[in-house]
Amino acid sequence: MSNPHQNPIGELKALLLSGDPRFWDLLDRATRAARDFEEVFLLSALRKKAQARKLSPPKPAKEKIRLAILGGYSLYPLHELIEHLCEMENLPVELWQGDYDNYISEIMDENSGLYEFAPQVIFLLPAERRCMYTGKLTDARGAQQAEARGVVDGLLDLARRVNEKTGAEVITTNFMLPARHDLGAYRSRTLGSDWSFRKWVNLELGLAAPAYLHICDWEFLAHRLGGLAGRDERAWFESKQPCSSALLVELAREAAQLIASLKRAPKKVLVLDLDNTLWGGVVADDGLEGIELGDTSPRGEAFKAFQKYIVSLKQRGVLLAVCSKNDFAKAAEPFERHPDMVLRMEDIVCFKANWEPKSENIRAMAPELNLGLDSFVFVDDNPAEIEIVRQFAPEVTTILLGPDPADYVAQLADCRLFEPKSITGEDAQRTSQYRSDAQRKALEATVTDMVSYLESLQMEAVISEFTPVDVPRLSQLINKSNQFNLTTRRRSEAEVIAVMNDPNFAGYSVRLKDRFGDHGLIGIVIGEKCGETMQVDTWLMSCRVLKRQVEEETLNELVRLTQARGGRRVKGIYLPTAKNEMVRDFYSRMGFTLIAESETKREFELRLESFQPVPTKIKIIRRAYEPS
Amino acid sequence: MNQAEVIAQLQSIFDTVFLEPVVLTPAISAKDVPEWDSLTHISLMVAVEKSFGVRFRVGEVENAKNIGDFADLILKRKQEP
Repeated sequence: MSNPHQNPIGELKALLLSGDPRFWDLLDRATRAARDFEEVFLLSALRKKAQARKLSPPKPAKEKIRLAILGGYSLYPLHELIEHLCEMENLPVELWQGDYDNYISEIMDENSGLYEFAPQVIFLLPAERRCMYTGKLTDARGAQQAEARGVVDGLLDLARRVNEKTGAEVITTNFMLPARHDLGAYRSRTLGSDWSFRKWVNLELGLAAPAYLHICDWEFLAHRLGGLAGRDERAWFESKQPCSSALLVELAREAAQLIASLKRAPKKVLVLDLDNTLWGGVVADDGLEGIELGDTSPRGEAFKAFQKYIVSLKQRGVLLAVCSKNDFAKAAEPFERHPDMVLRMEDIVCFKANWEPKSENIRAMAPELNLGLDSFVFVDDNPAEIEIVRQFAPEVTTILLGPDPADYVAQLADCRLFEPKSITGEDAQRTSQYRSDAQRKALEATVTDMVSYLESLQMEAVISEFTPVDVPRLSQLINKSNQFNLTTRRRSEAEVIAVMNDPNFAGYSVRLKDRFGDHGLIGIVIGEKCGETMQVDTWLMSCRVLKRQVEEETLNELVRLTQARGGRRVKGIYLPTAKNEMVRDFYSRMGFTLIAESETKREFELRLESFQPVPTKIKIIRRAYEPS
Repeated sequence: MNQAEVIAQLQSIFDTVFLEPVVLTPAISAKDVPEWDSLTHISLMVAVEKSFGVRFRVGEVENAKNIGDFADLILKRKQEP
């Protein structure tokens, strides 16, 4: 198969001259890959020549959308790019172009060519030179705000008029921001600067736009490309171009995307591969402990971040499914038992792990979910699986993940397949719900006493004996904690495993979550039983959760385990380092008695007959060495 | 680089942009090439600036009467530091 990134032009010309219909597939792929203005333009020219030669396109011709483009700039050659990109989306357009900077009268005059054309979609590019504050930088804020609101109202009025007269959907650009240092830091201290004024107008316009008005976010597009790269003063002076040719391509792509989204529903189901997609490695080979997932390694973090992004899609209403070539039990295990899995079984509406071709598995999902195959998007890191689905379930949109899991989130976030449609009545109703949420938060912000604050956090802790899955994270925390660390004893993974397997040791970890999120594994204690004494070999904690009563619950657990093993006292030591001064008096604060002290060591003792468990606001979900 | 070398490099750009082959000579101009309309002209100029690593000043491209003139303009801009 040819690579569209390597000069597709020559190959396209050859296919065109020999009348080969494979021209269209290559043209489609080349258009998607093209970023340069001249390349898109050239592809457009080739498309027109192919159409003139009646080289038959693969898809049946559709009725053309009547699209009017008008604005405060030369719309030439923008129209050409938009036409080409719409054609390649299989949405052919019939174009009407307004005259340079004539959009206001074209909309106001009922006898203008615009109304004669009877557009179904209008793309409006209002002139940025009409979006400037006309007074002084030092004018009162109210006057500047009023003028900005006036610009917004003027645009809303144009959109309303043209929509009322034609029934057309209206797409309008907002305004690019300046990219020069002019005014320096002062630019953000007044609404009178172009920078602040346009930002304000853009915000107000977006928030006030009615359902028929769609914002083509030029500010965002220029930001994405780079402010300076988006500007071209020469092109303005020579031919009234709105921006650089590079940004013009992005603007045309966005316009085509918005037009397509008027006609098409967003995708509904995201079908996920497992191995090397949701975690690093192969769970059936590497085992639950061996897969890369979680905060122990950079790769593990990247996969966890990808899962978090997928959960955010689910919260937006996207259904999640799994399709993996795997033994079902092995594929399901991480979802059920891996502590760092963000995705859980209950997040997945359809879980296929077997040895059937993935195209067949996805085909089987459609009737189960009562959705068309064209609502499905399939994500995999393996090009062979993507190819099978492309060939045998061509209605499914496929995404081949790149070689680096760090880029997975970006790939999905840029895929443009799951963007919410315009506001519906239901969305609007949700506002009241948000409002009560906001009130609740405001109430909590006023909570002043510590106990109510801790209660409002709705903390939950899971205390667990050391487990093989946790070994990397345990060792990592043991080797990097400095401040809240009583003994600063370091241990390799092998040494942690040795502790785990030695019945004289009691090792446990604490995980904490609260209503704002999951803090993960944040505390570790290792006790060594010597006769009736439990010696605390290691006690460390992540400083993020200090003073949240985790200390108290950790001690409660230590006492419980000591009693369970027939112990009568707990002995704690503090070994000072350059960094652990904060826990010098920790044991005293927890009710221990200082029994010996030297330059290099402080020893404490807690007699259990006098100890009462400390009540806290943390709900303990599970305790160590107990069946879960 | 001389005018002939510039024209040779231009030839390869024209070969990409135009479907029908055009043989460039110093005397040739837009009106001699049916495919060379104002739309093609814009993408031709973007491609030329990229290929030669030059940036023309405002208004000066339209003063070039033919390919020879245009090649001289490219040379002039290329010689700038």
